[in-house]
Amino acid sequence: DGVAVLPPPYNLSVQSTNMKHLLTWSPVSVPGEIIHYFVEYQGEYESLYMSHVWIPSSWCSPAKGPECDITDDITATVPYNLRVRATQGSETSAWSTLKHPFNRNSTILTPPVMEITKDGFHLVIKLEDLGPQFEFLVAYWRREPGAKEHVKVVRSRGIPVHLETMQPGAAYCVKVRTFVKAIGRHSPFSQAECVKVQGETLPL
Amino acid sequence: MKNVLQWSPPEGLQGAELTYTVQYFIYGQKKWLNKSECRNISRTCCDLSVETSDYEHQYYAKVKAIWETNCSKWAETGRFYPFLETQIGPPEVALSTDEKSISIVLTAPEKWKRNPEESSISMQQIYSNLKYNVSVYNAKSNKTWSQCVTNRTLVLSWLEPDTLYCVRVESFVPGPPRLARPSEKRCVRTRKDQTSALK
Amino acid sequence: QEFQFGPCRVEGITLQELWDAFWAIKDIVQAKDNITSVRLLRKEILQNVSDAESCYLIHALLKFYLNTIFKNYHDKAADFRVRKSFSTLANNFVVLLSKLQPSQENKRFSGHDSARRRFLLFQRAFKQLDIEAAQTKALGEVDILLTWMEKFYHL
Repeated sequence: DGVAVLPPPYNLSVQSTNMKHLLTWSPVSVPGEIIHYFVEYQGEYESLYMSHVWIPSSWCSPAKGPECDITDDITATVPYNLRVRATQGSETSAWSTLKHPFNRNSTILTPPVMEITKDGFHLVIKLEDLGPQFEFLVAYWRREPGAKEHVKVVRSRGIPVHLETMQPGAAYCVKVRTFVKAIGRHSPFSQAECVKVQGETLPL
Repeated sequence: MKNVLQWSPPEGLQGAELTYTVQYFIYGQKKWLNKSECRNISRTCCDLSVETSDYEHQYYAKVKAIWETNCSKWAETGRFYPFLETQIGPPEVALSTDEKSISIVLTAPEKWKRNPEESSISMQQIYSNLKYNVSVYNAKSNKTWSQCVTNRTLVLSWLEPDTLYCVRVESFVPGPPRLARPSEKRCVRTRKDQTSALK
Repeated sequence: QEFQFGPCRVEGITLQELWDAFWAIKDIVQAKDNITSVRLLRKEILQNVSDAESCYLIHALLKFYLNTIFKNYHDKAADFRVRKSFSTLANNFVVLLSKLQPSQENKRFSGHDSARRRFLLFQRAFKQLDIEAAQTKALGEVDILLTWMEKFYHL
């Protein structure tokens, strides 16, 4: 190991939205020098059974800037320790460790983006591709007093999916939220969107 | 579950009269076993479906080349687990239509069998979590939408009369990544609208 | 979707994540297993496991994998992809194990004893091999373990 002359990165934090986890830190700056960063992680298993073991992050060994997408490294719903160090040539800083372990169950879940279309009498929905962890709970109902709300779980991502066969002249409304099985949490519902058979998308 | 061993001829021996001999091994058992139909063969494939028909076992296979009095080393496969690695073929797709609807009947692909007389085993019996991804293309609106189904029949109602619809279906089993093989595209035209036909 | 090992229910595990992790290293790990004449998770160990047995058996197997197999093999796993996949498997096994509570007071029931016999068959076969060879073999057989676990994974 190089002598730790270089100051370590600091202010480590993780921003996580929709199961995309970004580790950021305050950069180390040495005028005129290029600094690289190495990120390592250990899950609960490593910290419990073999605390000396740290695993290099998939995409940040090294990283050029003061951030690292650790999504592919966080692959279980357990607390993860994360640490970063700076290198400049042969010089290496001390490790700087995230103050509190990160658990993906704290991710922020936002309402998904949906696109409602019709193909004749067929109500079709297209949902953004948020990755394999996501299921979509699609609620839809016929816009009339006392209408029953139907719920369909959609796992297809990024392709149009058939939702319902509509009755002529009726209007149907749709809203959707995500569900992440691995952490057992839902996002809030999206805004509802309504369409009328043989009509345009209706404002709410 | 039709499991065929394939290999490439050794380099640098083009034109030489080569023959090959194949053996297979059941993981956890003791000996390599001969495949008599693949002893001193000139083709570069060998059907081991019979030998690997117990799909809960795992297997290895190996092949060596023979040229005149020379024998190559054995070339060996990795561990092959039919239950996880076999490709799941598409279902049989039967379409029938009337004026405004198409009914789709799916028949699960069958497990490979030694001879036609043998009773058929549906892949559905082997993979209880077998699902189908049905993709429907409306030629008039040029739109495609899909539906994930587990049961065998699907009725698309309230379609547009006198319109060509094309259907493609893919089998899907959750688990390890498998090569998908969608069905052939099947197209059918809904009948003309009777009311407008009477005018 | 959740695991239902008899009375033991476990949510929050995405089995696909485990499959993807193992599949990334399957060829590497299985190629290192030269003792092909021995299969640790033999068919008779995992065949016809009753619901009553299943919770005890999976609990014993996961505990063994975490304490004996992953633990010592990790340092020797030079290949980065292998270490990464181990971490995914091990950390998800930790979650699974923490949520599996085979009821202690039911130990008198048949489920426990027959599950114990099944596990001992596995453990005896493991102990008959050199420890490193046995660890390598057990890791190469995670696909057999996951295939059996998948039978208890329901909507």
